[in-house]
Amino acid sequence: MRRVVITGLGPVSSIGIGAAAYEQALRQGVNGVSPIECFDTTGFPYYMAGEVHDFRPEDMVRRLSVEEWGRTSLFAASAARLAVADAGIDEDVLASSRAGSTMGTTGGETQILERLTADSLAGGPTGLDAGLVRQVSSARLSQAVNRELRLTGDAVTLSTACSASNYALGFASDMIRSGETDYMIAGGADSVHRWSHAGFYRLGALTEKACSPFDRDRSGIITGEGGAAMFLESLDSALARGARIYAEVLGYGLNCDASHMVAPDRASIAACMRLAHKNAGIRPEDVDYICAHGTGTPANDYTEASAVVDVFGDDPPPISSTKSMLGHAMGAASGLGAIASVLGIRGSFLPPTINFSTPDPELPAIDPVPNHARTADVRIAQVNGFAFGGNNAIVVLGRMS
Amino acid sequence: MTTATGTAAAATPDTAATGTLAITGFGVLSGAGLGPEALAAALADPEPGNASELYEEPLPRPEAHALVDFKVRDHLGRKGTSFFDRATSLGLVACKAALADSDLEVGEDNRDRIGITLGTTTGSAKSTSDYSRDTFTQDRPYLVNPLLFPNAVMNCAAGQAGIWFGLKGPNATVAGGHMAMHNALRYGRNLINCHYADALLVGCVEEFSPHTAWAAYFMQSVEGGDLPAGEGAAVFVVERAEEVRAAGRAMDAEVLAVEAGVFDPPGPDGAFSAGLETCLRRALGRAGVTPDEVATVATAWNGMPRLDDAEEAAVTAVLGADVPRLRVTEATGEALSATGAFQVAALLARHRAEPGRDGEISVITTRSAEGAAGAAVIRGWSRVGGHHG
Repeated sequence: MRRVVITGLGPVSSIGIGAAAYEQALRQGVNGVSPIECFDTTGFPYYMAGEVHDFRPEDMVRRLSVEEWGRTSLFAASAARLAVADAGIDEDVLASSRAGSTMGTTGGETQILERLTADSLAGGPTGLDAGLVRQVSSARLSQAVNRELRLTGDAVTLSTACSASNYALGFASDMIRSGETDYMIAGGADSVHRWSHAGFYRLGALTEKACSPFDRDRSGIITGEGGAAMFLESLDSALARGARIYAEVLGYGLNCDASHMVAPDRASIAACMRLAHKNAGIRPEDVDYICAHGTGTPANDYTEASAVVDVFGDDPPPISSTKSMLGHAMGAASGLGAIASVLGIRGSFLPPTINFSTPDPELPAIDPVPNHARTADVRIAQVNGFAFGGNNAIVVLGRMS
Repeated sequence: MTTATGTAAAATPDTAATGTLAITGFGVLSGAGLGPEALAAALADPEPGNASELYEEPLPRPEAHALVDFKVRDHLGRKGTSFFDRATSLGLVACKAALADSDLEVGEDNRDRIGITLGTTTGSAKSTSDYSRDTFTQDRPYLVNPLLFPNAVMNCAAGQAGIWFGLKGPNATVAGGHMAMHNALRYGRNLINCHYADALLVGCVEEFSPHTAWAAYFMQSVEGGDLPAGEGAAVFVVERAEEVRAAGRAMDAEVLAVEAGVFDPPGPDGAFSAGLETCLRRALGRAGVTPDEVATVATAWNGMPRLDDAEEAAVTAVLGADVPRLRVTEATGEALSATGAFQVAALLARHRAEPGRDGEISVITTRSAEGAAGAAVIRGWSRVGGHHG
């Protein structure tokens, strides 16, 4: 079995595009949430989201024609471009190697479906744009990555909702660990849309202005978007080409609550953490940092913090939520969390939970790294991802020893 | 003549993630009805039905391979099913049939080792689109039904199946469109061979709705095709072949190889056909199968000449023009992600009905307009004589 390392990072986020900008924003605790621009918010009580206003796919992709691909696929392809550039691998070498991609998502290209829905309401179905109809398939997210980079291996879109990037990162690492593939791009992508904004609002899970995970007065998520891509290869491959090694993928755990579609399950989440630790060959006390799922809903944060204490005991490692800065980037969320963790491992810092003011007496005592990034030695980080459907996925990353 | 199975070690060595899979049971629900017999009958006499009464909204045409009389409560009861959308309902019924068809027993000792990998295109397009529609048409844009919110998210069918059947192992949804079955088999094979799970329900589900009917209509017309929309689900109980064999259990099929890749889209330059050809040759190599051993090719033919011709060129280049082709979509319609699952189900339905085909090797090819390609190799059996692979 081969060891698997991450040698390239491609974040496309509301707080920064590219590894350097993203790291700087994480260190500064930048708030990426702003008034929604991608749809008309008239009539919605809440109107904030973590949109990537600076996203210019036409400046990022080279082979894809931006008119032929949806926003989410372009997030995926753009993030992949960044990751490959960051990895410093020759594009032609990559294109002629055993290489593929796997991207996670919640909504896929449903912003295209939403546009078609509006068009159909206005003029009936007969006049719909066939070119747009073709763009609805969520399979296109990973296929866009392969097409943009001429990768001839797998293109797998995992639509396991808000933990999907972790599924993708795990799957990609196995593909390399097992020798099935030599290079993989793994991550996730999602876009902001009306339907999910409305849905989370009606579910009572949306907050008005700022996402404040683990705070006593937290009241929900802010929807977000973006792309996350990581370049994975075997340790031997990275050493042979003299690549900068950010971190090692030590292992991951997957399980399913099989109890409720939307309510998180403390025992099942704890079981998933134990699975991840077992598969990564570590003990709980080895973990220096937990990148929380940390949505900012009362239920998630209580359940997650409680499960952490169940597994780690009364003195768990620091646990912070990048969603406080990014909003909930849905299928890209755990990918952006993984990139933040990788940067923390490499740069010895903990990303903060911003918007934090008051500890919650109902929560177990945790250290949410309130408001300011902190210098810390991060040898092993755990990235939590939970989702509708009880789709839990937790990835363990480590510094290369 | 079953001794050749299990000889997966071929020119390309297996990796830890590519040991072969056993299919120990399956459930299929196509426009032809529930069960392999209905699908086999439709293959012999393919004829679309009339779906014009199914929805109030206009449809592009009345013909469809749809389950016009399908009601989830007839299969799963009324309790707990009233908020299921059609895709979730179809998926759960196929999962139920698959579990009933297999001798795999789900209990407290193994439910956290049994998972689900379901393929889709974009979940229930109707559920998501209806949500969008309500934000445009309700008195207030947020007046959507919160109880229906999970339906609008793509992993609904897999998540609900996990709950319904109490399966706590890895629960995954693969959005693959026409690639979904090949993607799901590769993803699921990794879960099983890397020991994240011991058994999986692997399959695909696609519903018929005005949304998918119009999508099929536009995609077909752009490509010069005329295939009516279809729907349904096929789900397979998948386990490690060597363990099934060691336990002396019967299998319906052994999945010997599954390969996939992405190339330049089908076009006059032939690059795509060369790509699919590569996938197919690799799959045969890893399966340890020579072209002359292949009895049937279940293609993804769907009446789109640009794609069909590219697929046919690759199949002919590797297997020749004479190996019988099985055009499953003639009986199941344009069912997007479910097509790949129907291709496998159709082969297995035929095996079950025709013991004379025991041990035959089949190839399942697929392709997408985006340039994705896939090839799988399976060996199947009837249940006469209790074949143990």
